[in-house]
Amino acid sequence: MFNEKTIEEVKSANRKASSDATSTAFYNNPRIRGLFYQVALVAGLLYFFVTVIGNTLDNMEATGIKTGFAFLDAAAGYDVLMSLISFESTDTYARIFVVGFLNTILVSVIGIFFATLFGFIFGVAYFSHNWLIRKLAVVYVEIFRNIPLLLQVFFWYFAVLSSLPSARQSLSLGEAVFLNVRGLYFPKLVGGDLAWVVWTVLALAIGGVFYLRRWAKKRQEITGEQFPVLKASLALIIFAPLMAAALTGFPFTVDYPALKGFNYFGGVTVIPELMALSIALSVYTGAFIAEAVRAGIQSIPRGQTEAARSLGLRENKIMSLIIVPQAMRVIVPLLNSEYQSLVKNSTLAAAIGYPDLFNVFVGTALNQTGQAIETIFMTIIVYFIVNMVISFLMNRFNSAVSLVSR
Amino acid sequence: MKEFQPSSPRSAPVKSVGLIAWLRDNLFSSIPNAVVTIAFISFLAYYIPLLIDWAFLSANFKGETEAACVNDGACWVFVNAWSYQFFYGTYPPEEVWRINLTIVLLILVIIGSFTLPKSIRLKTSIAAWLLLPVVGIALLDGRLLGLEMVSTDLWGGFSLNVFMATASIVVAFPFSFLWALGRRSDMPFIRSVSVTFIEFFRGVPVLSLFFMGSVMLPLFFAEGTNVDKLIRVWLVLIFFMSGYMAEVFRGGVQAVPKGQYEAADSIGLGYWQKIMLIILPQVIKISMPNILATFVMLFKNTTFLLIIGIPEVVQTLQTALSNSYWLGGHALEGYLFVFLVFWGSCFGMSLLASRIERTMNTDKRD
Amino acid sequence: MTAISSNSNTEDVIVIENLNKWYGNFHVLRDINLRVKKGERIVICGPSGSGKSTMIRCINRLEEFQEGSLVVDGVEMIEDVKNIETIRKDVGMVFQHFNLFPHLTILENLTLGPIWVQKKPKAEAEEIAMKYLERVKIPDQANKYPGQLSGGQQQRVAIARSLCMNPNIMLFDEPTSALDPEMIKEVLDVMIELAQEGMTMLCVTHEMGFAKKVADRVIFMDGGEIVEENEPEAFFSNPQVDRTQQFLEQILNH
Ligand SMILES: Nc1ncnc2c1ncn2[C@@H]1O[C@H](COP(=O)(O)OP(=O)(O)OP(=O)(O)O)[C@@H](O)[C@H]1O
Ligand SMILES: [Mg+2]
Repeated sequence: MFNEKTIEEVKSANRKASSDATSTAFYNNPRIRGLFYQVALVAGLLYFFVTVIGNTLDNMEATGIKTGFAFLDAAAGYDVLMSLISFESTDTYARIFVVGFLNTILVSVIGIFFATLFGFIFGVAYFSHNWLIRKLAVVYVEIFRNIPLLLQVFFWYFAVLSSLPSARQSLSLGEAVFLNVRGLYFPKLVGGDLAWVVWTVLALAIGGVFYLRRWAKKRQEITGEQFPVLKASLALIIFAPLMAAALTGFPFTVDYPALKGFNYFGGVTVIPELMALSIALSVYTGAFIAEAVRAGIQSIPRGQTEAARSLGLRENKIMSLIIVPQAMRVIVPLLNSEYQSLVKNSTLAAAIGYPDLFNVFVGTALNQTGQAIETIFMTIIVYFIVNMVISFLMNRFNSAVSLVSR
Repeated sequence: MKEFQPSSPRSAPVKSVGLIAWLRDNLFSSIPNAVVTIAFISFLAYYIPLLIDWAFLSANFKGETEAACVNDGACWVFVNAWSYQFFYGTYPPEEVWRINLTIVLLILVIIGSFTLPKSIRLKTSIAAWLLLPVVGIALLDGRLLGLEMVSTDLWGGFSLNVFMATASIVVAFPFSFLWALGRRSDMPFIRSVSVTFIEFFRGVPVLSLFFMGSVMLPLFFAEGTNVDKLIRVWLVLIFFMSGYMAEVFRGGVQAVPKGQYEAADSIGLGYWQKIMLIILPQVIKISMPNILATFVMLFKNTTFLLIIGIPEVVQTLQTALSNSYWLGGHALEGYLFVFLVFWGSCFGMSLLASRIERTMNTDKRD
Repeated sequence: MTAISSNSNTEDVIVIENLNKWYGNFHVLRDINLRVKKGERIVICGPSGSGKSTMIRCINRLEEFQEGSLVVDGVEMIEDVKNIETIRKDVGMVFQHFNLFPHLTILENLTLGPIWVQKKPKAEAEEIAMKYLERVKIPDQANKYPGQLSGGQQQRVAIARSLCMNPNIMLFDEPTSALDPEMIKEVLDVMIELAQEGMTMLCVTHEMGFAKKVADRVIFMDGGEIVEENEPEAFFSNPQVDRTQQFLEQILNH
């Protein structure tokens, strides 16, 4: 029979034996082993970097490539297809960097907006009462996420947009929006003298919506009465600026695109490169987001809906009070990584010549200056920073939606 | 005492079962639903015949040149005429058996890793997978086997996409497992190096990695060393893939119950014995669906190689589309064909992944 | 047996007539007829798959049925959103797996219905909620989240959540069968108290002690039918149908 004492004795004997073993064979001591591995790794990395840097310097000297960032102040000497700020070919590489950056942000924002829209529409469509719509969601997701993005970009650019009619035969919508092989044209509002009044009213209306929400919540807490916040907000945002515009005598002129010669001028132009890239990015990423939304909604047990129903809650309230808050906790982290992929994938602009950061900098600037290391790293860092910002915002959003839990 | 006589079940009222009930519940459950259904069906009824007509009824199948495309429909002659290039690039036709043999070997290895008897499966398939790139490269290049050399400039087409993706994941596999272990290691330096590596390769756009491979990497090698472009790209893909796979494996390692480690420790296994004999097999099994998903991503991303001028299938298609004998506008046919090829393979792998996941879930229940 | 004075009001609050339900072609409820008087306490038992849950879920329209009629508190259950809402406000339900809302605190779980369905001011809703939390003896847990509570506590919260809506009828679907033995009692105690206050209750349970103590009637179901119903004493001591006896032997000897 073992008693406790004997067990304790056995244990201590064992302990002693094992510590003896380690003191005899030091290489069996896990700490020493760990140290050894780490030192080996450091040595290996050091050797690697020293060789690589040495080789690189030699190579650059041999081919006469300059180093450093002096090139940023030099004139780029090439034009870009599209720029959100003024740009001429005599401007510097630094400016072209900014141009590219803004174009990347533009296509990313458009892409994220529409990808989210498609993703949520098709993700919710999985749960439609209509069989055809459910199947449509499945078909959308399975088709678009299983075809390489590059192929989709090319498809929209070379097969769809380039088969649009020429400027003279443009497709038009109410003689205001035109679509042709050169791009999409739509009218622009140009503000007159009193336009600021309208913009101010719009800003006030947006502020008013926040106030309205707070007020409605307070009122419900006190009186229990509910207020149709959504409808009221929409009405406020739409009608207040309209009223203001009417009172100030509509201080806007509309700049319609008009056909002059072989092309349209005026209004806002969306070049086909931007269109193709935005469509492909949103459709592709939208398919992944739809999956995320579906997973989020499916992660909620049926019992939640049943319990809410048996309390007498209406279906729309069950959605907004029970389903959405819980589903968001699954969806938001997935959205975060999808948004980051979208930004990284926007570099495919290079394939069709949309002047995003990657294309103008790692594409053209690198080619002209030969300074591969500087241009590539400057560009990579921007993508890192953009993704960190996305991650930060999404984490904030996530903690806001999961604040209600723990 | 009364005896309980179960009443015989009646069949459900017709309006609640069968086709009519299904139609009502799924297509016409409410007025808006019915409107959507009718709109949808009329849309399909209008476009599907047009599509069928374009793709089949008035399509052109026979012939060699563009001139053979006389009907209004699709010009499949284009796809037909270029199909060799789409699959094999510019690989010499008399040597094409080598590509085919490599593909057959690949298929055999895949089948083997799912069907071999359990007792030898893991070891044999790991060995086969590691051997595969060596044998494949030897075959395709030819020099090692005393065959005529085929320069990598001539490799291309869809087979190149398949080879690049497979060869990368195979080599990335062991590395990524090490990175995953490194990330979970107690040794601070090893851990931070692993984290930096993984986050770097996951964080940057793949395209910038390809540019690094094509313009920066040559600077890193000693002067005069000329490393083949495909090999440089291969290296890049391996790094890229191991960053992503490391995260997959980390998830897998975390999913192995703690009891497994304790059990392994308690029978006195050393660290590497524990990892190789107990943990790795379980991690591979748990991670299989995610490995496949990552592979699908890698496979789709091999098309990006076009941007640095590697003649993979999309590049081949672009070349074909701008060929001066085929300027009749066959973009739609070409893209549809490549769509189908990619979609088939990627969708197949997704299906396989979800099947594995399902069987894994049922395994858990027993 | 402690005799509980049955409510003298004989108004029928639930009237089920010839109810039939199919899942696809599977005839799950067969010609169910049941009348429940106000204040009556009914225990439903029967083997697994006999349709107990399905039957009581029909009462607040978590399930649809194809034939027969169902009147709850004078409101006929028909395909009408308003009717369904009226009935649901009137009928509380407690589930086997509690189904508390994990993203809301206990207090928020309790005030959700009063605020959004009954449109009560928040302060009043919270007052009611605290009152019921005290009745189920966990007022100190109000600001915790469901995941932080034991099963028994969660189930008591679920009961309180239903009570906050001030229902006339309470449905219980195996409220104790997901609980450890020592937690069963705390939930049953709450239910017994509720019964003694005269709440109309339909309770699917295999807690025969509870049935003997509070039930006015015990219903035994099998194969989608009501096989036998009787007062608890007679039901347990002198079952009329062989199938009932067989079932009782099984669960009592267990
Ligand atoms: N959604 C459904 N679809 C098809 N059949 C169902 C569904 N829900 C329940 N059933 C079937 O209906 C029958 C009755 O189910 P019900 O849940 O009412 O049984 P129960 O008496 O509550 O059993 P338990 O004691 O196990 O809870 C079972 O045979 C079950 O398999
Ligand atoms: Mg049940």
